[in-house]
Amino acid sequence: MHSQSEQQPAPADSRHENLSALIDGELSDAMARIAITQLGHNPADRARLGEYLAIGDAMRGLDARHDGFSARVMAALENQPVLLAPVPKKRESRPTLWLAAATAAAITWVVWQSNPRDDLAVPLASVQQTAPQFDEASPYLAAHQDFAQAVISTQEMRFTKASLEIRP
Amino acid sequence: MTQRRARMPAGMLAGCLALSVPGVQAADPLPPQEAAALLQRMSDAARRVAYEGVFVMQHGASMQTLSIINRPVGTAKESRLAAMDGIEREIRCSETGSVSRIMEGGQIKLEKRLNSRYFPDLLPPNAATLTSWYHVKPGERARVAGLDCRQIEVSPKDEFRWGYVLCAEQGTGLPLKAMMVNAAGQPLMQYAFAEIRIGGLPRVESRGLSKTGQTDWTMPPAPAAMRPIMLETVSVRNLPPGFSRITAVKRQLPNKPGEVEHWVFSDGLTHISLFLEPALQPFESIRGQSKQGMINMVKRQVGAMQATILGDAPWPAIEAIAMGLEARGDTADR
Repeated sequence: MHSQSEQQPAPADSRHENLSALIDGELSDAMARIAITQLGHNPADRARLGEYLAIGDAMRGLDARHDGFSARVMAALENQPVLLAPVPKKRESRPTLWLAAATAAAITWVVWQSNPRDDLAVPLASVQQTAPQFDEASPYLAAHQDFAQAVISTQEMRFTKASLEIRP
Repeated sequence: MTQRRARMPAGMLAGCLALSVPGVQAADPLPPQEAAALLQRMSDAARRVAYEGVFVMQHGASMQTLSIINRPVGTAKESRLAAMDGIEREIRCSETGSVSRIMEGGQIKLEKRLNSRYFPDLLPPNAATLTSWYHVKPGERARVAGLDCRQIEVSPKDEFRWGYVLCAEQGTGLPLKAMMVNAAGQPLMQYAFAEIRIGGLPRVESRGLSKTGQTDWTMPPAPAAMRPIMLETVSVRNLPPGFSRITAVKRQLPNKPGEVEHWVFSDGLTHISLFLEPALQPFESIRGQSKQGMINMVKRQVGAMQATILGDAPWPAIEAIAMGLEARGDTADR
């Protein structure tokens, strides 16, 4: 029953089916939300999701270095707010090994924005997240004005979280 | 030298700026030698020509009017810029450096500046080298502040810098207008003279900071707020093509306690700052972008240091520098 699956971790096979359904957009909004939340707590499932997305990318002939959809989805999941058990996020739990092993690694930025631009939007993660504040940016902007062409205040800047990811 | 004086009402100029069409009907790129000569002529004019005028700077919804007086002194220049609206602010540049004087609460605050080039002196003294990184295309004739000028498109050859559309005065090559554009040709910011007099001996009276009564050209004593860096804790593995480090000092930043290292990388036209200071605690990287996308910045941790990289440059340039940072003796990235 669905009510039981919300209370206890579902069996591995069931979870994997859910992942496929999630990727294919076959889950209801409520079930998708639950699946995303569970992904936030389960590094193994996140790694499997990464594999599924990579396989999907490969089947569609997409180059992950340019498309970056999978990596953005994974980054978005990394930034999932912890709703039930607010514990610090462990960096070593990042599901990037499968990517690093693929080819020679290149490091790039993967960005999740609370107010995403179209080209950075991650359709899967619809949970709103508070934009990071960088109020202390003002002195740097002021100091750079020795060279800058315009005077920019912190209020004119939009800040987003950024994380380092290794992608093939 | 023959004096030319022209004036355009500021309101009309603002309208022209707002209605500027990004695309310039430019011809094919000039051969490198001709391109270098053209850029060098514009660069030299900004320093070697005496001029006095008022220009408008527009960025997004904001607009500022500044007066400028420039006169050549030997191979160098002396210039004075004064903001004509907002906070009373004046910048003086000479061979010995650049100092800003800001009126705050009836007191004059002096700040030494690292850069002595401002519009119309945007091109570096060795402007010919820019042809390695920018295409130069002559455009149509235009008219700015009542003077005839030729549009010059300076477009980047790669993704690491913004482009410019300049309008060089016919007689001297002095840029009367400069527009920074993105890869799509959309304007990010623009300068344009509203009034200018070229030639003669510019009057030396200060338009700004009228309460000070100081009208001489003497460079005010600069506060000793900068000193060289003795031991570098971070190295830069690689830089975008054409960029090199032009400055590295320890300095205090406005409204921030303590000192930080301020490095500046430039290709001669684009400038990117790197600020380094000890990281007080681990933190997540943050990326910032101005509304029009002109300024990009990122804060990240490099070993035990906090690195803040920002500049009037596209994101790939900021990213390249940020990703090329390594802590000396500790290459762990975060």
